[in-house]
Amino acid sequence: MSISVRKSAGRGQTKYPATDYERIFHPQAIAIIGVSAEKNGVGFGAGMFRAITKMGFAGKIFPVNPKGGKISGWKIYKRVEDIPEKVDFAVIAVTAKHVPETLEACHKIGVAGVEILSSGFSELGTEEGQELERQIQKTAAKGIRVVGPNCFGIYCPKSGLTLLPGPDLTRESGSVAFLAQSGGMSIDLAHKGRWMGVRFSKMVSFGNGADLREAELINYLAGDPETQVISMYIEGIKDGEAFFQELKAAAARKPVIVYKSGLSEAGQRTVASHTASMGGSGIIWQSVLKQANAVQVHNAEELAQANLVFSLLPPRSFKAISVVGGGGAIGVTACDIAEQYGIDIPPLPIHLQERIGSFLPKPGSSAVNPIDVANPFVGHEALKEALIGAAQDERIELQIIVSLLFHYKTIANMFSKPIAEVVPYRELTQAVRDVVEQTGKPVVAVLPNVKRELESMDITELIALTRQEYLRYGIPVFDELHEAIRAIAHLNAYYGRKNHE
Amino acid sequence: MNNIKAMKVIHSNLQKNHKTLSEYESKQILAAYDIPITREILIRKQEQLEKAVAKIGFPIVMKGCSADIAHKTEKGLIHVDIRTISEAKKAFRHLMAEMTGFDGGVLLQEMIKGRRELVMGLTRDPQFGPCVMFGLGGIFTEILRDVTFRRAPLDNRDAQDMMQDIKGHKILDAVRGMQAADKKLLARMLINLGQIGLDFDEVQEIDLNPVLLDGARPVVVDALIVLA
Repeated sequence: MSISVRKSAGRGQTKYPATDYERIFHPQAIAIIGVSAEKNGVGFGAGMFRAITKMGFAGKIFPVNPKGGKISGWKIYKRVEDIPEKVDFAVIAVTAKHVPETLEACHKIGVAGVEILSSGFSELGTEEGQELERQIQKTAAKGIRVVGPNCFGIYCPKSGLTLLPGPDLTRESGSVAFLAQSGGMSIDLAHKGRWMGVRFSKMVSFGNGADLREAELINYLAGDPETQVISMYIEGIKDGEAFFQELKAAAARKPVIVYKSGLSEAGQRTVASHTASMGGSGIIWQSVLKQANAVQVHNAEELAQANLVFSLLPPRSFKAISVVGGGGAIGVTACDIAEQYGIDIPPLPIHLQERIGSFLPKPGSSAVNPIDVANPFVGHEALKEALIGAAQDERIELQIIVSLLFHYKTIANMFSKPIAEVVPYRELTQAVRDVVEQTGKPVVAVLPNVKRELESMDITELIALTRQEYLRYGIPVFDELHEAIRAIAHLNAYYGRKNHE
Repeated sequence: MNNIKAMKVIHSNLQKNHKTLSEYESKQILAAYDIPITREILIRKQEQLEKAVAKIGFPIVMKGCSADIAHKTEKGLIHVDIRTISEAKKAFRHLMAEMTGFDGGVLLQEMIKGRRELVMGLTRDPQFGPCVMFGLGGIFTEILRDVTFRRAPLDNRDAQDMMQDIKGHKILDAVRGMQAADKKLLARMLINLGQIGLDFDEVQEIDLNPVLLDGARPVVVDALIVLA
């Protein structure tokens, strides 16, 4: 038995193969391999062809299938080698056993990267599947980068690449990147982001991660000028050391939001010491993410909400806030929630209380902070005055406005109109935008909806319209107050540490 | 840091196929890494007792010390607050009798009077490698599970963050007439603990419980090192 004193692990930069990410995310020409022309095609290849054309991808598309023919009027090439032009990126959707030769062919014609949608690899746990995946890795090592296999691929709104089966994702580009092994988690977030107001720079579902995966992609996104916020859903990682180093380096540059699943199943090992029995993977992950200054979230909703505030609000913490609303138990609950997240809702000075109070109905209102405007029908002019007044307290760094618009349903019923016709939601959102411009302090809107029964679907529509108006002005919207405050607390934790507050 | 000494201790235990180090040996490794431990002397014969007592000074703690016996408290192998030589002799005879059949001795150590108990440790996570633990010690470790971890190597900020991380972090402040803990020293202990894990793959787990606050000064009172 020999032992030796080791040197501490080096912290040198990990070297990754040179990769032309520009050709992968913004390709001028793509091949879609495994496009079946029969009955207009129902496989992944044909699905992806339709999705990408529907998205309005501006580059050239070369469908490939050994049978040839046409799809939607486009010529199908019989072999990858038959494509007459330079191809930047390829979608591979052939059966697993044909994937290695297809990848080889792509490498031969100089494709920079591919996404392999096909399944039937290491995820099966069979020797055959693992062997096929090793062949993919062998070819990848020659200099063609692989996303997948067993994935939904890349979504890049700017170029029009889309996830399977996403023909209806927005082309509007934003600053948020998302990584996941899971294709389902990716497409869900892409759809959710669309209405929530999260806009993406790039999304990568990398499936089995045979080649490109978490650590290297974090490294790339940390330096990607199109990405200001990195978010990810992690089931498992391949290399803890590399992951940690990349995460830490990335978080020093821009916010990194991590949803790690599967933390509960970690059973307690039978060990002699207390320390090891305390160290289930849940608390280790929590600690390690904190050490890297990554933002840990615990479900997909929280992840989307964190993406929203990190992409729309200024890069800083907000330790003292005001909350404006009315018609509910807003005062006490707001204080309870804020305290839980270490955020202060300081009572306003008397002169501001008096000023704000002069615009509010009496009795029933309170301008202390939280500012209870007494009822949900208070007009946008008065709300605007309340927000402007509260912003004059220099301790206040951010304001939350809670509008219980569903209460207008009673009025709508009286006039037999849909609720959107009786709620001045455009005026409301414009007033809030004016406040942000005038005060320089951000506002977050909360639009709860307790009436979701079939008879009141017009409220759901009204909320969507109001949200859209707010988002037009870059004002983040939440369904619930506690979600808004939790998201702001994530900003505080991240920027607090980053800026050594 | 004198890790040659630590290496020798580990090496000799591996040769004997010992998976756990005795408290005394565990603490020798800690001392080699500048981690403050109780003043203590290991004796095997009663003739050594008086000289050892004179060196440590009453009151003392006496413990049965063997690599083969892990949970000393449960097995009644700890005598505390011994104030006379006759008490010490009685304790010695009792401990040696209890350890019949085991390779071990009796550990005499200074009695630390601090009431604040902390825990420190090291574990190897399958993903992240050696991780250092810090939290509330003594019986509270298992009851409250108020602990936090950092991956080694730790920098000073990591160590300071750990002390702020636990719910009971105020225990380190000046509370109820007690001095504020020496956080600089605590940080150094945590950093060095991580270094042991980085230096020796053979160290599987370390458990320092309790680490008592003697006024401001943290002292490792009990220690266990498990080898891989």
